[in-house]
Amino acid sequence: MVGGPQTHRLSNGGLIDRSAPLSFRFDGKTFVGYQGDTLASALIANGVKLVGRSFKYHRPRGILTAGSEEPNALVELRTGARREPNTKATMAELYEGLEAASQNRWPSLRYDFMAVNQLFAPIFVAGFYYKTFMWPAKFWEAIYEPAIRRAAGLGRAAGIADPDHYDKAWAHCDVLIAGSGPAGLAAALAAGRSGARVILCEEDFALGGRLLSDGGTIDGLPAAEWISRTLAELAALPDVRIMTRTTLFGVYDGGTYGAIERVNDHLPSPPEHQVRQRLWRIVAKRCVVAAGSIERPIVFAGNDTPGVMMASAMRTYVTRYAATPAKRVALFTNNEDGWRTAETALGAGLQIAAVIDARAEVSPAHRSLASKGGFTVLNGSVSGVEGGKDGVKKISVSMTGGARAEVEADGLAVSGGWNPAVGLTSYHRGRPKWQDHIAAFVPDGAPPGMVAAGAANGAFGLGACLREGFAAGAAAASDAGRNGKAGTAPSADDEAYSLTPLWHVAGKGKAFVDYQHDVTASDVELAQREGFESVEHLKRYTTLGMATDQGKTSNIAGLAIMAAVSGKSIPETGTTIYRPPYVPVAIGAFAGHHRDETFHATRLTPSHHWAAEQGAIFVDTGLWKRAQWYPRAGEKDWLESVTREVKAVRGGVGFCDVSTLGKIDVHGPDAGTFLDRVYINSFSNLAVGKARYGLMLREDGLVYDDGTTSRLADDHYFLTTTTAKAGLVMQHLEFCRQVLFPELDVQLTSVSDQWAQFSVAGPKTRDLLKEIVDPAEDLSNEGFPFMGAREVALRGGLKARLFRISFSGEMAFEISVPARYGEALVRNLMQAGAPFGVTPYGTEALGVMRVEKGHVAGPELNGTTTAADLGLGKMMSTKKDFIGRVMAGREALVAPDRQVVVGIKPTDKARRLRSGAHIIPKGQTPGPDNDQGYVTSVCFSPTLDQWIGLGLVERGRERIGEIVHAHDPLRGEDYEVELCNPVFYDPDGGRQRG
Amino acid sequence: MRITCPFCGERELGEFTYLGDAKPARPAVDAGEDAVFDYVYLRDNVAGAMSEHWYHGGGCRAWLKVTRNTLTHEISVVEPAAGVGAAKVGA
Amino acid sequence: MAEFSWEVRSPLERALVAGPYGARGDAGVSLTEIRNFDLVQVMARRGKAADMAGAAKARFGVAAPARPEAVQISDAALIWSGPDQFLVLSKGGKHAIEQLSQAFASSASLSDQSHARVLISISGAKVRAMLAKLSSIDLHPASFPIGAAAATSMDHTSVTLWRGNDRTDGQAVFNLLVFATFAESLWHTMLDSAAEYGVTIARSEELA
Repeated sequence: MVGGPQTHRLSNGGLIDRSAPLSFRFDGKTFVGYQGDTLASALIANGVKLVGRSFKYHRPRGILTAGSEEPNALVELRTGARREPNTKATMAELYEGLEAASQNRWPSLRYDFMAVNQLFAPIFVAGFYYKTFMWPAKFWEAIYEPAIRRAAGLGRAAGIADPDHYDKAWAHCDVLIAGSGPAGLAAALAAGRSGARVILCEEDFALGGRLLSDGGTIDGLPAAEWISRTLAELAALPDVRIMTRTTLFGVYDGGTYGAIERVNDHLPSPPEHQVRQRLWRIVAKRCVVAAGSIERPIVFAGNDTPGVMMASAMRTYVTRYAATPAKRVALFTNNEDGWRTAETALGAGLQIAAVIDARAEVSPAHRSLASKGGFTVLNGSVSGVEGGKDGVKKISVSMTGGARAEVEADGLAVSGGWNPAVGLTSYHRGRPKWQDHIAAFVPDGAPPGMVAAGAANGAFGLGACLREGFAAGAAAASDAGRNGKAGTAPSADDEAYSLTPLWHVAGKGKAFVDYQHDVTASDVELAQREGFESVEHLKRYTTLGMATDQGKTSNIAGLAIMAAVSGKSIPETGTTIYRPPYVPVAIGAFAGHHRDETFHATRLTPSHHWAAEQGAIFVDTGLWKRAQWYPRAGEKDWLESVTREVKAVRGGVGFCDVSTLGKIDVHGPDAGTFLDRVYINSFSNLAVGKARYGLMLREDGLVYDDGTTSRLADDHYFLTTTTAKAGLVMQHLEFCRQVLFPELDVQLTSVSDQWAQFSVAGPKTRDLLKEIVDPAEDLSNEGFPFMGAREVALRGGLKARLFRISFSGEMAFEISVPARYGEALVRNLMQAGAPFGVTPYGTEALGVMRVEKGHVAGPELNGTTTAADLGLGKMMSTKKDFIGRVMAGREALVAPDRQVVVGIKPTDKARRLRSGAHIIPKGQTPGPDNDQGYVTSVCFSPTLDQWIGLGLVERGRERIGEIVHAHDPLRGEDYEVELCNPVFYDPDGGRQRG
Repeated sequence: MRITCPFCGERELGEFTYLGDAKPARPAVDAGEDAVFDYVYLRDNVAGAMSEHWYHGGGCRAWLKVTRNTLTHEISVVEPAAGVGAAKVGA
Repeated sequence: MAEFSWEVRSPLERALVAGPYGARGDAGVSLTEIRNFDLVQVMARRGKAADMAGAAKARFGVAAPARPEAVQISDAALIWSGPDQFLVLSKGGKHAIEQLSQAFASSASLSDQSHARVLISISGAKVRAMLAKLSSIDLHPASFPIGAAAATSMDHTSVTLWRGNDRTDGQAVFNLLVFATFAESLWHTMLDSAAEYGVTIARSEELA
């Protein structure tokens, strides 16, 4: 399966391992590259120039850069569930069997049907969405958007779940360094020698930054040798950590940084037990941004033709990968640095067609290089490129002075100068400042603790990078309190860097500013004519810089063109706000471990595994898994199971795990006074050994939570909350203790997890408990009356707590034991209860019985109801202050026409009542004016043999017996219901007290 | 964002819960409805240093008074609430 | 009359499978559940922090921890759990709540947490790399030395973490008290985090 020869691979050189050939497929065709290649370099080595079609016009595109700024060479990498669209070929490391496909073309890359879009180019100008597809409005979703999405787009998502794992981790250091170029390595040396804990992040898989492509001499050593010597020294330091394949993508408050580590993206799939990517949150006292700079294109007609490439990228491909993007190269530059590509190309034995230099003067050294290399130097600019999907063929040059020239070449290297990577330093709304001598923006300050050094700070010379990086590293270590000897900085000469700014060359044909979003120079000019002059408007109107590359190669050119047409300077025009992430970060990495069944932490009740053995159906209640019902063989649906469970309780005895209730120990001499202030009713007067139902308000007078609280000793109450509010009530009570009432001597501890608690309910409850509880304990009505609460001994000596409270309306106790005995208690209840037909019941049956009994729960305690709305107004003490007392007395909260809790039952006993149905007076048209409330909770009542419910209805308590409409537009239903007493079952409470 | 808990040291934001303005004080029992209304509802919209209540619920459960610049997120002061731990308040 | 057995069951009874887990080879992480301990929360009453410290000194011979640290004595560990409060971790009932209530009667409120938590001891060459996935705090030896403790969160769940004495092979040991009802979920998260390093799973009745 070995493909053809690597036609564009140099016979020697490069940081590739020629002993490790790797075969890979691109658009179904097999090629061979080497270990150390990227997909882009391997494609280049195989002579592939056309790698994709553009977003809007489906123009043929090639590889523009050699880094994470790549706007063109986006591919779908891998297949099936692992297919990842919009992967930059310049960042994808080659591995054996790699499969990639070009994007946004049909039926094939070479013959793309949608390329006809180019014929309609006049309508695809800036703002074309807004202008063309405005009306009729209903066409948007049905016709325009799907059509546009088919025609204009990037890669396709896999569409099925990602099989790989991602995780997240924290790291801490004194000095964090972004980038391993000369500045980054020098910073790491200085900080590491000073004794600092250092983390250096490098997005490439190889360390060295531009040194890998441009070489140089440092401390008298060739760059490669200096890098290995430096890495060896860093490796010997105790606390220097170097993370390759890791991009620092964002900076957050308090010195927290986001980084994405592509742990196993360089392999076909992660090894067993390993993650694909890891999201790092790095906490650093100081950060040195040595992220380098990005070479910028010059905008001219046909600048997107495959074969047009950044000059520095061409050097990278030739030097680092020994791959030649072209055989006969032309170079278009406006600066000294671009000329290095001519030297590199000559050194690699490539032909140079011409150097087109926009500057008036070319140095004698370069003149002599030209004569040695046998090429001409044209003083002028490239104004057009002839070619197409097979690449560059001919280049038109507008000579300074007006003459025209043509150059034949199969590749064009372009250098418009360099832009420091100002992303990280600007992410806290920083605005970089303009520097005339490099015609680029450089950081103007940075988030606290951060500093830029080297090329990222506008210092482009190798010597300057080393000096700045070393100084920044030493200063950062010292600021972090590490003052060891940093030693001397590595040194190198500074190359000359001079340029004459050039952004856009006039010419015939499309000249691209933003390659990825197909934004042209004329789009920018049009935006200006239409009044979108502000760069923020320009960006949104044209979508300039809004693609996945975030305009790394396009933003500055775009605003330079805007500045020119609006007659302002570039700094006057300004930059848009920079925002993280610096590179796209997979949602999967942000989710990490939190997906599918581990989406969030789960809480299990003490009887969970026993319930699972019984075949219980579980329901998610917040973080909890709770048994919802326990189906038995032959039962046809949940309703049959739940009905059986309710009947078993009402007719015998059942139990339910209620350990999910929040439980709080309230200790201290002032515990009673404290509870008086947080509940509307009194607890200081509660006798030891008794329980009481309590209701809490928020300070705005609305109901917050409810539950029973028992007094176990003079200075010890045991408070319970609802399952849903457990954590919030704890937080609220701590607020009351620490902030509102600090004078009270009270201590709070969560004991939610200490106790396994079960409700045992039904007329045979005592019979069952007598089997479990030590015979010496008196469970009679006299010995243990309704609302009693105390510790009891169980048979076998275990201590438990019994609370005679009932949520079901039946004779009931809640029994609690230390949690690790919870499962034993359940098994013992089952064993002891067998003669009485004991039945475990779930949250559904619990809910049915509470609705039958008219007890309010979550749907009624919904943040809009008062104590009086719930029928509990009389509980509000007038003898003491409590949270919410004053606001509860506000006019609107005591208005007579409030919606209050009432019972609701359909007049047709066969009809199913649904929660959410609106209550409309009989004979009136449903609508907001006649809406008098709604059904909050419903259940099928086995006891009444019909559907019943609770609702919040205007003046409901005054209207018992009235027939109204339940109007349910969601389900298209409208039926008669009767408003009734909410206590459907045993209204005088004889059963629970019996 | 990171908050330096006076008891635990510097911790990440996820361990804390925000409540809001720490300035309003709960009115005395007989202060009347207007005073309580102000306490419950009226808040300054501060652009700059603001005193706020934060709860270290993911740590030591202390309520804290944090002075934070709402424009920059810079945190200048973190103090415990008056009744944190066993602190004795009043007589 | 039926006889009942009151068998204790750890919340990790089913989730914990002793033996190797994850990547093969030398295990980078050891996870050991320590069962059947006594744990009491001691919280000073208002203005009684000094009295509580005195009571602790009288009872244990050492001062109660006043900052985030764990104080190890021969038969117990006193672990800071918040301002003016600490946990007493012990075995065999000697320092259970009934035994301590007299000592702290006038200075502190006590709450039994013996069943509310699960205790997991984590060690091994990769222990810090694994904990970095769970814990946001800095566990570098210089920042979190032996005896350091923290009330913190893992997977949005409150935990008490402290560093015990190093193993005899020099590896650091981190002890973790987690809420019982979260324990199984957090256990699986810990296994996920540790799998790539290879794990040895065990249970023990001995406090480290």
